[in-house]
Amino acid sequence: MPEETILSDEFVRELINVGEVDILVGVPTHNDARTVGQVVQAVRAGLLKYFPRARSVIINADGGSRDGTRELVCAASINDTTTSDLSALRTLHSISTQYEGNPANGTALRTILAAADLLQAKACAVVSPESASLEPEWIERLLGPVIRESADLVLPVYVRHKFDGLLIRNLVYPVTRAVFGCSVREPYPSDYAFSSALGSHFLNQEIWSQEQGRHGTELWLTLAAIIGSYKISQSFLGAKSRLESSPSDLVKAMRETAGLLFCSMDCYPAAWREVREPLPVPCNGCQPTVSLEPMRVNRKRLYQMFTFGVAQLEPVFLSILSSPTHDELKRVTTLPEEDFMFPDQLWARTVYEFAVAYHRAVIGRDHIVQALVPIFRGRALTFVTQNREAGEEAIEKGIEAVCDTFEREKPYLLQLWDGGK
Amino acid sequence: MWDNFVREMMRAANEIVNGFARFLPRFLEMLVIVLVGWLIAFVLRALLRSVLKLTRFDKLSEHTGATQLLRGAALPSLTELVSRFVFWLAWLGFILLGISVLGVVGFEEHVATFFAFLPRLIVSLFILFFGLLAASFFSRAVLLGAVNADLPSPRIISWAVRTMIILFVGSMAFEELGISSSTVIAAFAMTFGALMLGLALAFGLGGKDLARRYLEKRFAREPHEENREREDELSPL
Amino acid sequence: MPISQDGLWYKDAVIYQLHVRSFYDSSGDGNGDFRGLAQKLDYLQDLGINTIWLMPFFPSPLRDDGYDIADYRTVNPIYGTLEDFKNFLDAAHKRNLRVIMEMVLNHTSDQHPWFQESRSSRSNPRRDWYVWSDTDTRYKGTRIIFLDTELSNWAWDPVSKQYYWHRFFSHQPDLNWDNPQLREEMWDVMKFWLNMGVDAFRLDAVPYLVEREGTNCENLPETHEVIKDVRARMDREFPGRMLLAEANQWPADLRAYFANGDEFHMAFHFPLMPRMFMGVKLEDRKPITEILKQTPEIPDSCQWCLFLRNHDELTLEMVTDMERDYMYDEYAKEKGMRLNLGIRRRLAPLLDNDRRRIELMNGMLMSMPGTPIIYYGDEIGMGDNINLGDRNGVRTPMQWDGGWNGGFSTADPEMLYSPLMLNPVYGYQAINVTSHKRFDHSLLAWMKRLIKIRKATPVFGRGSIQFLFPANHRVLAYVRKLGSETILVVNNLSSSAQAVELDLKPFKGNILVEMFGKNVFPRIGDLPYLLTMGPYQFYWFKLRRL
Repeated sequence: MPEETILSDEFVRELINVGEVDILVGVPTHNDARTVGQVVQAVRAGLLKYFPRARSVIINADGGSRDGTRELVCAASINDTTTSDLSALRTLHSISTQYEGNPANGTALRTILAAADLLQAKACAVVSPESASLEPEWIERLLGPVIRESADLVLPVYVRHKFDGLLIRNLVYPVTRAVFGCSVREPYPSDYAFSSALGSHFLNQEIWSQEQGRHGTELWLTLAAIIGSYKISQSFLGAKSRLESSPSDLVKAMRETAGLLFCSMDCYPAAWREVREPLPVPCNGCQPTVSLEPMRVNRKRLYQMFTFGVAQLEPVFLSILSSPTHDELKRVTTLPEEDFMFPDQLWARTVYEFAVAYHRAVIGRDHIVQALVPIFRGRALTFVTQNREAGEEAIEKGIEAVCDTFEREKPYLLQLWDGGK
Repeated sequence: MWDNFVREMMRAANEIVNGFARFLPRFLEMLVIVLVGWLIAFVLRALLRSVLKLTRFDKLSEHTGATQLLRGAALPSLTELVSRFVFWLAWLGFILLGISVLGVVGFEEHVATFFAFLPRLIVSLFILFFGLLAASFFSRAVLLGAVNADLPSPRIISWAVRTMIILFVGSMAFEELGISSSTVIAAFAMTFGALMLGLALAFGLGGKDLARRYLEKRFAREPHEENREREDELSPL
Repeated sequence: MPISQDGLWYKDAVIYQLHVRSFYDSSGDGNGDFRGLAQKLDYLQDLGINTIWLMPFFPSPLRDDGYDIADYRTVNPIYGTLEDFKNFLDAAHKRNLRVIMEMVLNHTSDQHPWFQESRSSRSNPRRDWYVWSDTDTRYKGTRIIFLDTELSNWAWDPVSKQYYWHRFFSHQPDLNWDNPQLREEMWDVMKFWLNMGVDAFRLDAVPYLVEREGTNCENLPETHEVIKDVRARMDREFPGRMLLAEANQWPADLRAYFANGDEFHMAFHFPLMPRMFMGVKLEDRKPITEILKQTPEIPDSCQWCLFLRNHDELTLEMVTDMERDYMYDEYAKEKGMRLNLGIRRRLAPLLDNDRRRIELMNGMLMSMPGTPIIYYGDEIGMGDNINLGDRNGVRTPMQWDGGWNGGFSTADPEMLYSPLMLNPVYGYQAINVTSHKRFDHSLLAWMKRLIKIRKATPVFGRGSIQFLFPANHRVLAYVRKLGSETILVVNNLSSSAQAVELDLKPFKGNILVEMFGKNVFPRIGDLPYLLTMGPYQFYWFKLRRL
């Protein structure tokens, strides 16, 4: 039975016309006509300004847009069939393909990786079509370290609102740092760059028919780079646009983050068990990363959903958590809203016990991930409450404290993992 | 007369001895069958245990939650359970075969009935087992879904789902066994129907506003509009 | 004695540019001469070219390789006598070779008697034959052409205590074309040579003939009037002769030099040349097609002159700053290779002595719309010597054989006007005509075949051009048409093999015949025509309907 092909015949023909490139910029889209034009023009300007001599191509992997997204991307081409562009030394192809299956960033990424592999691109970047705040300089900051410093993966550092990305700040970043030993602020990036070596390695992973090959794939890429000891660096980009396509549905977000983290811990224990100290990852041009505009947060609702969720899911938690942790969790639910505090240590232990439960599959693994959602709400509530009036420094300190706690609790994780109680 | 008595006694004794002599080989045959059967059952158990271990059957049962269920019931692992079941089934079969060799009148019929009943017993056990698994799985899924969707009374919904599945599965098992199948089916249909009617009335009449709002939210709007209706601006990623 | 006058002969010309000084020394004094050149006419005829362009051979202090003229009506004694020249001209015409000579209208040497007279006093009759000023502030804003050596377009004359205008070296004072006597004198000079039988003039530095305050002193309407006047006189008295403009300008500005077919017959297409080199380095046809898209239509009787290299530096005046930086970084890595916004290297060293690239570039030269010029020595892949001053590194002696002085001269090597190339790669022992003649696969043999096919195909010189724009940007493809003849040219600008699909639907039904081997390629159908090409390969296909 023939293996499935990733690239359509038509697209392969277009790639033949593009030929070998030095730089490939991938844009995964699905009905992004509102912002993609601006994004692609900024990418083009960045390529012309910072890499005018490089052979470049923009590849759009689309999930079946019906709003003219693909045409907007193709309009960024520079060639001799359109009006002359003397500011450009070379032809710049900007081509688009629709991938098979349902729209998913992971599938789009696979298409982009396959194209990069075929075109022997030395450096690749992927940008979100919703990054309306993307500037031409971002292209240089993402690709520069790959080209000049031989970095294999360049992750972004953004200026984000202090309450944005709570799941990243409270779960993904601390776990990636403490367990896998890599201090990257955005392990689940929407704009990033990687080398051909890492791209080829990742393309050959056997994840594409599984869930992590469709959603959360970017996080899996980061983890693959960490596990494979690839050279990782970070670049400061600027303000992060709020992504409409990013799941506000916490369950989906949890699957794409915690689910993937637990899965990778289960699949590659050797990669993290021996890690003692997290390695700092260099950051190019890093600046203050927190913005402090007011944001509407319904703390009451968070509190209610946390207490209610923990109460209702008690039979599930009994299968997952140890007795002391479960008791402590129950104690926290009894705290009144004005005194509510979800301690860092409890949070760390909870996450680790969930990871172990996932590893042992005490119940269905997806159920384990879902069960973490109401508990996370409690953690989010504490973060939002504690940092209501906080400035940037205090917030950074708080995040640092959480990470330290996760690092301190790692022996506990190891003990549980090996069968201890 | 005494000679007749002795002759009759001798003849009776002879008959008994002959009877024993006729019975003994069969008895010995039976013993051999039973012994061989035990050996075969033992080998089967060992083989099955190895095969199930190789194919990580326990891992599969962990994923479906069966392990937890058995642990809760203080039962051994599924691999062990299945292996032992197969052992006993096989040996029981050979025992019955051995007994049938004895030639006890009327017994063969019961043995045949037993062997005819056996597949149905196995099937209904399977139905029950997997049904219980499904009940556990789906009830938990519903519980989690309801909690995370902020629906009211998630435990009740979860319990209802579990009960319905168990009832359904139980009816199927009894039907398969042929035990009061028509009564059981009728009882199940009535219960299920009543439950559904009750839910329909409750949802349709008592919760029609909620139903309308839910349907509007689910089908009439675009996803990003849905986001705007959230009560806060938090974005987890 | 002039040869047959087909009025548009220059459209079918294949021009060979040489300096008599560099070609062949018959007298043994270390300098090439006309007698020597006459002896080598058979070689040129055998090569297949049909027109010779001679660089200046006038008496001159030779501070600008002869472009600083000290006498317009005779031959520099180093190169022989006027009689020698006449004999050479006759011999060339007997072989059906036309001769183009230089005519520097813009300036003379400061050793020219006219300038000596002009500077002698302010009241001298020839005072006004040059451009004088009390101050050096006139014509502000006029760019300096020889940036590496000159700081100003004005030079102080200590004799007459005034400034004189010079667009080039300070020892090359500009003539004043506003002076009617000067104009008549120059026409007399041109007549002198035309009467002798010279077929054409290359007019050097034409954009700078006339100056006006408040302008950039280039391409002025008055300059065009001068040329038109010359052209009109020439057409009247010497029909069939040709004027070739040397004007390093953007295509839109060059267009004016053709006017309505009553000014220059031909002009060099300067902007195209660096872009051909750029296209091959970038492996992208964009620079080439874009400059040709910007090239305006010219009158039917006019023609572009195309070239790869010449006696000057590879000029980068008509490119953007970004393009210039790219060319410097790719083609002139050593600072010594750069001069006056250009690169002073020969063709073969520029192309890393890559035979395939040399063939590709010559293939494009011969197939694009225009008259091609081959710079002497490039047909055998001669090298350059950047350690010689100015642009002398690309003007070294012609290498005829591996013997004494490369067969150029019997003089002692120390007497040669310029040292020979000696290194093992480009030295005369390795690169010379004799060794190239021994092998059928030599560059010289290949050039002969190329020129032969070019001459046999009038389409290249006279036909229209229509670009195809295949999606593969590494392939430059175009169709040349003249009457019923159609030629498809496909060039792979890339160093790696390429596949290209060409939309040839308008030519459906034609069979392609490759012009070098005359082999048949598949007929054009409905589907895009797929060609696979080796690195730097090119195809010339004749379309035949059979």
